[in-house]
Amino acid sequence: MRHCKKKQDKTIAYGGAETKGRTITPLVFLIPAFLLVTIFVLYPVVSTVSLSLFQDSKFVGFNNYLELFGRRSFSQALIHNGLWILIHLPLSVFFGLLLAVLLRQVKGGAIIKSIIFLGMVIPLVVGGILFRFIYDTDAGVVNALLRFIGLGSIARSWTFYPDTALISLIIGTIWIWTGFSMIVYSAGLEGIPIELYEAAKIDGASRWKTFWRITVPMLRPATIVVVTMTLLWVLKVFDVVYVATFGGPGGASTVMAFEMYLDAFQAFNFGRASAIATILTLMTFGFAAYMVNRMAKS
Amino acid sequence: MKKNAGVTRTMWMAIAVIVIVVIGAVIAVWYVARPQPAGLTVYSLWSGDEEANFMKVLENFTEQTGINVTHIGFSTQELLIGVPTQLKAGASLADLVIAPWPAWILDLAEDEHLVEVTDLITATKYPTGYINSVKDTAGKIWAAPFKASGKPGFWYKKSFFQDNNLEVPGTYQEFKDLLADIMQIDGIEEPIASGDTVGWPLSDTTEAFIMGLGGYQLQEDLIAGTVNWTSTEVRDVFEDLRQLLAAGYFSEPAEWQSQVAKFWDEKYGIYFMGSWITTMSQIGDVSDLDFFPFPETDGVAGSVDYCIIPKYTENLDQAKELLQYLAGAEAQETMVKLGGFLGTNVDVPDTAYGTLDKKVLDFISQTTVHIVPDLDDAVGGRFQTTFWDQLKLLWVSPTTGTLNSVLEALQEEAG
Amino acid sequence: MKIRKSTIIAHAIAWSVSLIWIIPFLGVFMASIRPFDEVLSGWWNFESFHLTSQGYLGAWNHPTAPLSRAMLNSLIVTIPSTFLPILVAALAAYAFARFKFPSRDLLFLLIVLLQTVPQQMVIIPIFNLMLRLGLLNNYLGLILLHSSFGLPWMILFLRNFFSVLPVEVEEAARIDGASYFKIFYKIVLPMSLPALASIIALQFVWVWNDFFFALALIQNPRLKLATQAIPVMIGRYEINWTIISAASIMVMIIPVVVYVVLQRYYVRGLVAGAVKG
Repeated sequence: MRHCKKKQDKTIAYGGAETKGRTITPLVFLIPAFLLVTIFVLYPVVSTVSLSLFQDSKFVGFNNYLELFGRRSFSQALIHNGLWILIHLPLSVFFGLLLAVLLRQVKGGAIIKSIIFLGMVIPLVVGGILFRFIYDTDAGVVNALLRFIGLGSIARSWTFYPDTALISLIIGTIWIWTGFSMIVYSAGLEGIPIELYEAAKIDGASRWKTFWRITVPMLRPATIVVVTMTLLWVLKVFDVVYVATFGGPGGASTVMAFEMYLDAFQAFNFGRASAIATILTLMTFGFAAYMVNRMAKS
Repeated sequence: MKKNAGVTRTMWMAIAVIVIVVIGAVIAVWYVARPQPAGLTVYSLWSGDEEANFMKVLENFTEQTGINVTHIGFSTQELLIGVPTQLKAGASLADLVIAPWPAWILDLAEDEHLVEVTDLITATKYPTGYINSVKDTAGKIWAAPFKASGKPGFWYKKSFFQDNNLEVPGTYQEFKDLLADIMQIDGIEEPIASGDTVGWPLSDTTEAFIMGLGGYQLQEDLIAGTVNWTSTEVRDVFEDLRQLLAAGYFSEPAEWQSQVAKFWDEKYGIYFMGSWITTMSQIGDVSDLDFFPFPETDGVAGSVDYCIIPKYTENLDQAKELLQYLAGAEAQETMVKLGGFLGTNVDVPDTAYGTLDKKVLDFISQTTVHIVPDLDDAVGGRFQTTFWDQLKLLWVSPTTGTLNSVLEALQEEAG
Repeated sequence: MKIRKSTIIAHAIAWSVSLIWIIPFLGVFMASIRPFDEVLSGWWNFESFHLTSQGYLGAWNHPTAPLSRAMLNSLIVTIPSTFLPILVAALAAYAFARFKFPSRDLLFLLIVLLQTVPQQMVIIPIFNLMLRLGLLNNYLGLILLHSSFGLPWMILFLRNFFSVLPVEVEEAARIDGASYFKIFYKIVLPMSLPALASIIALQFVWVWNDFFFALALIQNPRLKLATQAIPVMIGRYEINWTIISAASIMVMIIPVVVYVVLQRYYVRGLVAGAVKG
């Protein structure tokens, strides 16, 4: 499983007198955790998969899934999550790296990093409110800025209109989650041995080349972590959509987690909702497994 | 010694943690087990003036019976989703719920969450249509009608019309001309106000168009599902609406109550709204308010606020008493006198109504106008939220392309 | 020292970026202390500047979702949800780190996999379970759920931490005749304080910020949590920015304070590949 295990297997070596203790004690240590995890995590996961195969207590096989892919609201959600990944992921990873590099050399960089990281710490419902606020026609800074630079004609409540609702949310989440990328890369940068840079300098390499040939490859594990985590969050996004646009207008900003919520708690269609949840989990699990695999290979 | 220091520190930490958790647990248990305030709890959608009026009737009830009543008003979303969720949990925090959604009520009745009210009210005292909406196939009645609301038409300020030489339109063409005229007036942002934050203002306006241009039968067919949203007749109606939207005659949807204030402030010329507007404090002078129906319409959407009793109430007898009181003529007459309220009980005297409310009542009682159920309330479920959401889309983006996708989306959810 | 042009540029960019980042927070703070009409014409305008406490008072005493109650509710849920799983996870993590037992690696793999499960995947059966157990609208249900949901990542995190602790101290104690449990709470736990601090920071913030689980399990308006209070404030009345900004500030200040106090541990925990979210 773990091919590049750096830690030793530090199991305690004991004399033979405690054979009984060796099997019972680990059991005792494990039972509370396993009890809770089985009841509240494992069982529900399995149950949801099973529920997705039923409709109104009748077994329908993969019907719910087929129905979902024919539904326009679900296709919209799927596409939106996809767009979210395509736009948000590269931008937040890239900005995070840029900021990490930049703020290393700047006085007061630590404070700035803390400020940027705050987005990670606030509740996402508050994030949603912040988005509605800054994008508001009258009360929002975004429009004030646009008017300032002469683009006042396009000023509007950005979260209100179908063509801009989704992208406004995506930009907003970039503001929220770039802090994570930045912090992980900061830690990664600390771990790069100075000797490599010194050697490069002696060889006369330009800063640009140094960056691409040394920094980026050395940051590979960090990149994998950042990409995996960001991907998972983007797939699961819910709170900001609920608060800022409620999926609208006309489903213009709906996402899978939101569709699942509507199907489960508004229509009480547990079969279809479970199918959405299962699809979502297969995606998160799939991406995570792929990423962990790449990590293990490095 | 180092070892002892380590032990003491850990011990303190452990003690601190245990203390915090225990305190937390005690507070949690105490908090949850706290006795609910004595008396009945009523849920409804009302806030502001509507709520204030309702409280007066509740106070009268308390005076007469000695039963305390607490009222909590909710947003549409909260009530629509929250109540069924509670009922499914086999519990209810409300003893009585007032809601205008017959389909929703019947669904709850089917799942056996409600108390039957057939014997609590005299069915003959209410218009048949109202009772039939909440009657199941076995003939059992599950809700008692309380308040009726009509959405009679576009409200306008009489003095505003007089000052600007505007006339009430009799035909659809005159209506369009009126909008063009209002558009020119100084100070007007847009001729027609659009309400938001809840979905029904836009859907009520749209239904007026459906019935006005397509006939009341079209609305009933759409409710029954016998006509498709993508059919030509529906498309024609929506195309007319779309053109008016594209011409900029409607305002951007904004919170519906603040729109009433702006309407009265003459930022808008007319506002399509339900009969409860007459009691809203944003209307400075009710005698200056009037309405005209959608020109040449043969239908008007009415909704009824019904009272239901969840099966899980702990105060069943008292809840029944309250239900009977609210369904009765006395409570309804009090509400009528406070304004913006149409009674459902036939025993409510006509004389109790204010001039404007009487006009609404007369209008919807005409034989030439058919009362039709509110469309989204009648269909319910995910169709309702999709309807509201899609209409908002149409309002902010009134292009032909959008119209097509809206109608398709509606058909998919209705089908 | 010669000041290079690139350093000046770097500083300029850095400070402009931080300005961009802080503007939303600044805006919401300004909106929370200024009257509604001033906010509508733009909080960045200082021509007419008045301060008001209406925002905070309005949010604290809101008719349907008073923050006075909602924040207490959130505390009641968050504190036990943070401390309960720590002990449970530590025990399990210790077992994974120190003992060999059949299918250990397999079980551990299962734990790691369960971290990727989204909240949506468990909520429907949990909802039905809580319904049957009578734990809907009951904080006990929510606390158990949050605790269990946090266990996989906590176990992973602590197990990795324990693995790098020197075994010699424990082995010495073992030879002295101490029971495993004693070793655990007298030696290992005290040495793990930094790791526990990380877990406390991360879990506290996660549970406080949660919305979805609370939304699904708590419908009683008097029991609603702080994060649930905020959407209620939009839905009811017109968007009074003053009140809702004040509410936002109050709800977010708690996790921010926790983060600031435990910053080092929070960041360490997050970076150590804690697959949380």
